[in-house]
Amino acid sequence: MSSYTFDEWYVIRLARTISDREVVFHGFASPCAQVAMHVAKRTHAPNMMLIEGAMYAINPDPPFIPPTSNDSSLKRGAAYSMRFEEFFDAAIRGDVDRMFVSGGQIDMYGNTNVTAVGPLERPKVKLGGGGGGCNISATIKQLTLWTTRHRSGRTVVAECDFITDIGHRTPAGTRDELDYTGGGPQCLVSELGVFDYDSDGRMRLQELWPDVTLEQVREATGFEFAVADEVVTVAPPTQAELDVLRVIDPLGIRRGEFDPREMEREFDLVGAGV
Amino acid sequence: MYLDPDKRVDLATAASYVHDGHMIALGGGLSARLPMAMVRELIRQGRRDLHVVGSAHSMDVDLLIAAGALAICEESYVGFEQDLGLAPAYRRAAETGTITVKESCCVTILTQLRAAEMGLPFLPVRGIKGTDMRRLHPEYAETTCPFTGEVLVAVPPLKPDVAIIHAPVGDAFGNLFMEQPYVLDEHFAGASKSVIATVEKIVPTEELHDRGVVIPGYFVQAIAEVPFGAHPASCYPIYSYDRAHMSTYVQAAAKPESADGYVADWVNVPGGEDEYRNKVGAESLARLTQWSESIDQWKGLFS
Repeated sequence: MSSYTFDEWYVIRLARTISDREVVFHGFASPCAQVAMHVAKRTHAPNMMLIEGAMYAINPDPPFIPPTSNDSSLKRGAAYSMRFEEFFDAAIRGDVDRMFVSGGQIDMYGNTNVTAVGPLERPKVKLGGGGGGCNISATIKQLTLWTTRHRSGRTVVAECDFITDIGHRTPAGTRDELDYTGGGPQCLVSELGVFDYDSDGRMRLQELWPDVTLEQVREATGFEFAVADEVVTVAPPTQAELDVLRVIDPLGIRRGEFDPREMEREFDLVGAGV
Repeated sequence: MYLDPDKRVDLATAASYVHDGHMIALGGGLSARLPMAMVRELIRQGRRDLHVVGSAHSMDVDLLIAAGALAICEESYVGFEQDLGLAPAYRRAAETGTITVKESCCVTILTQLRAAEMGLPFLPVRGIKGTDMRRLHPEYAETTCPFTGEVLVAVPPLKPDVAIIHAPVGDAFGNLFMEQPYVLDEHFAGASKSVIATVEKIVPTEELHDRGVVIPGYFVQAIAEVPFGAHPASCYPIYSYDRAHMSTYVQAAAKPESADGYVADWVNVPGGEDEYRNKVGAESLARLTQWSESIDQWKGLFS
């Protein structure tokens, strides 16, 4: 019997947000999303176009995922690497189907803050910054949001202190009112559950991890969120997905995103839909 | 255009083209091809009040801040990714208000550089509306498309005084070869008033032709040969990044006193870059160049 850890299941759930034949991008500092894209490419989405983070390499076959997103190992096997502007042009004209977005804060409409927590003039925490997200979150067709820090109670909040990347609506209006051509966040995958967004663009719980209760999610969330009529347990990973994940991320780069206590969550493969 | 046939200078002379208060663009990004030797030399020469613009950067910007050389930061990201985390000096300076944060977005910066390259007074971007980015950028405006009526954010051209670019090889005229990702370097070269280049090795032009020129020498004002000039960032195909050294820096930069200690021990040393390389050690540097010997060797650099 094969057992697996939460970080593995989590990355595989992220991978399942990708459909075959999508053009998909992750940003820098995003190891879970990065590993998830390679898992998807090697399992259920062989014809996706994988654009490798800060290398802009198309469908590379890296020998391992390094701890930085612009190491040359990440373009190995790629027949072509886009120039910086080729990727961003594709993203703003609407040729990129999906991007992974996270943030120090994520609000109920899926806006994210990667700029500063607290007052802008004297932030409590100056975060690193958003890369290209401020513009391309407006035009990429679908966004997969993810966070591994939902449980902290500080991440999924009623309002972001600063909106860096755009969700479904901001105080300035909806995506339609802002003439934004992308569809916005399709889902949020957290270490507590999986959410989609209702017709008003509000976060709605759809799936729970088997060791998490609805009450725990409510306690960790800064607003009242909708709950689907039937909340299901996240589908377990297959052995094939686990095998691929362990090959592509032998250094365990994905684990750097988690609080150490999440690493204590272990599961076994009983009931997995292989 | 810079048309002198031979622009070779030493590092100190190249650094003298950067003046206090200049807007500078640093080449490369994150852990790749950062112009670290030039950053160290600017600190040695006591440069102040610099305004840095660019996309996603790490130790280059953080070290300038730690040394008190930076006044305005207009990058889209400064940090050490998930691996080593937030940029300590940047974070401290932003939280205490000792620098002006004008955080930007990769697309916005690219668009502003393109406006400068084309000699246009502005270009529009479709994003930004609805975000809080304009709170950091009162210089942005709105414009209405004359054809569709769509309201877009208009951004002004960005013309850095000096672009500082590090490449594996170049020639005496300043033609540069580099591997991808080029990041914004081509646009920095086209938009800036001047380019100061450092390279691992200056080679005859014929040799450079065989590899291909990425940045044409007519943009380049001066070129200096500086081995391991990107260390601890990578300069492929020659060497990988030095994760252990970056980690040492991040730990030191966590507190002002130890950040000062790093600057004193590694930057403000009498022998300059020669002494820097000696301190890092020939063995450590050689190990970084051995990434291509096997996958295990490469992977081992990051374990």
